[in-house]
Amino acid sequence: MALATRPEAPPMPPAPERRLRRPWIDAMVVQAVAVVAAVAFTGLVGSAIILSYGESPLFVYSTIWQFSTSRASDVARVLEQATPLIFSALAVSVAFKAGMFNIGVEGQYIVGMMTATMAAVWLDLPAVVHLPVVVLAAMAGSMIWAFVPAILKVKTGAHEVVTTIMMNGISVSLVAWALLNPLRTADTGFVDLRSDRFPESAVMPPLAPALGLEDQIPSSAHLTWLFPLALLACAAVWFLLFRTRLGYEARAVGASPGSAEAGGISIGATQLKVFLISGALAGFVGLNYLLGDAGFFGVNYETTLGFTGIAVAFLGRNHPVGILLSALLFGVLFRGEDGVAVATDLPREITVILEGLLILSVVVAYEIARRVQLRRQAEFIRQVEGETRAAA
Amino acid sequence: MPLLDLGAAIAIGLSYFTIIYLTGLGGLFSERSGIVNIGLEGLMISGTVMGAWGAINWGPVAGLTIGAVSGLLFSMVHAVATVTFRVDHIVSGVVINVVALGLARFLSQLFFGSASQSTSGVPNFGTIDIPLLSSLPAGLGRAFQDMSPMTLIAFALVFPVIFALNRTRFGLRLRSAGENPEATRTVGVRVVPLRYSGVALSGLLAGLSGAFLAIEVNALYQEGQTQGLGFIALAALILGNWSPSRLMVGALLFGFAQAVPLRLGDAPIIGVLPDQFVRMIPYIVTIVAIAGFVGRVQPPAAAGKAYEGTGGT
Repeated sequence: MALATRPEAPPMPPAPERRLRRPWIDAMVVQAVAVVAAVAFTGLVGSAIILSYGESPLFVYSTIWQFSTSRASDVARVLEQATPLIFSALAVSVAFKAGMFNIGVEGQYIVGMMTATMAAVWLDLPAVVHLPVVVLAAMAGSMIWAFVPAILKVKTGAHEVVTTIMMNGISVSLVAWALLNPLRTADTGFVDLRSDRFPESAVMPPLAPALGLEDQIPSSAHLTWLFPLALLACAAVWFLLFRTRLGYEARAVGASPGSAEAGGISIGATQLKVFLISGALAGFVGLNYLLGDAGFFGVNYETTLGFTGIAVAFLGRNHPVGILLSALLFGVLFRGEDGVAVATDLPREITVILEGLLILSVVVAYEIARRVQLRRQAEFIRQVEGETRAAA
Repeated sequence: MPLLDLGAAIAIGLSYFTIIYLTGLGGLFSERSGIVNIGLEGLMISGTVMGAWGAINWGPVAGLTIGAVSGLLFSMVHAVATVTFRVDHIVSGVVINVVALGLARFLSQLFFGSASQSTSGVPNFGTIDIPLLSSLPAGLGRAFQDMSPMTLIAFALVFPVIFALNRTRFGLRLRSAGENPEATRTVGVRVVPLRYSGVALSGLLAGLSGAFLAIEVNALYQEGQTQGLGFIALAALILGNWSPSRLMVGALLFGFAQAVPLRLGDAPIIGVLPDQFVRMIPYIVTIVAIAGFVGRVQPPAAAGKAYEGTGGT
């Protein structure tokens, strides 16, 4: 519609033979330009804020970079921060591809931590079995939490954005109850509420020994086997979305529910399945902290990873590769916070502002890019059609 | 049940009603103009931190004003994204919420020297007692004592809002932009300014509501104090079928649900439940209400759809 009414549409002059690029190359170029533009815009506005504090933007940016990359242990800390964000963003993106917003990753992973703790503390199993069982318990808990909004959406049409937020609220109380009652440690030496310490068989081993970097990466950087698992999850999500029938159906439902249904796809069944997969991924979000860092479940568990995951997913265009890159960028910003706090007079929250600016500008840039791309595709098709007609 | 507690519960319910109703009215203006605003929570958050800062420095009136204006300014991000750049409304709204979390930490650090809360005792309005009602016997009068004047204002707002929506040129045009922007355009009315003003009103009201929460209800800014109330306001809006008067009913229901864990934790039946389960009640009420009502209400026809327009209006 909009394309047909464009004023400059009248008969294309045949003269200047500008061969348009193939659409997929074009798409990549346009998107790359969008990302660069968004980053540049963020850098500029961020610089203005930093200048208003009387600091040098270049110095701040280079501090952030140096603090996160100069030593192996810094890189390990960046990866540690990126690990939960990868899972969280994958959970968001899988649902998004099927046209749903899983704002409930937050609540889902908190419940997952609770069920994982139950499996870790209450079961007495050999190490080979125990750790996988704990991970499965986390997935199961998160899936149950995702099931409620999913089934309500499919059966009643209740919008998942509202219901998942409510489930987040419920999860906080549920976990507080669990920590106060069944999971509470019998050890009275602690002021704060917490579970028993996990047995060795339920602890996620660090990655450093396997890399031979034990002497360079201190154990205070909690880089565990969950990071390679997160990479694996990226690959698995890519395969699911782009190489399986369910993935195809999910993308069809997300792109155009009407056409998907006309094509014989059950919208409800697809969305339910996808939302459960999203929940299962959410189960991993809290595990690096729980099994690789704390080694027990206490009231001061890490929060807001689910919300940050949304930002990571949008920045990464909801594509597994994009998510990996944007999670690493967020890891750098997290780690850079320490650098900002040590080396400058800026509040460390400046990185949060940079993140926010980046997300806002990237969302707008992607939308503009999408429109530019659509227009170019139409142009490409017109040109090909013109050539075919001329040849006939 | 001890009626003293019931009275106190009603008083708290009315405070929460005020928050939910103000925010819900904001959502109503935005959605009636065709822009779904899931960022209400984030707009409220900006109102809490800016409002508390304003009230600490210049008193409650300035605090509420600054909160409302900051909500308005922040909502312009949503307007630019959805109206001008035609970004998906939910994507933009979600981004507003995520960004608000970080922005609030930054501002709180800047204003209060702590990323998560201000000092308590933010100056607020004096409270008022409603004549006659406040002397109801058996503790029920408690419900109408020490009320914030803002609560009365919130109740009274329903009249100008209904009038504006049904009897003014602006209101009718705003609604037409939400129902059928193409028709609006055809009769020579520009859709874009209408949608901008719808979103601006939502920011103003959500910011005001956030400032009310920080200044009048809690007397401090605290990270996470909005507790999803922006989303509950959305739920009330759905329940109220996008009408100002029915929204009031929804806001009262959800407002009182909020009060249950705070004041009625030991009432019969509820008292049997562990405290943490009582705290789930407001959320469960919201889920049940949404699931039960959503198919039977009618949102504005063009809400959530980008208006492509012609010629940039």
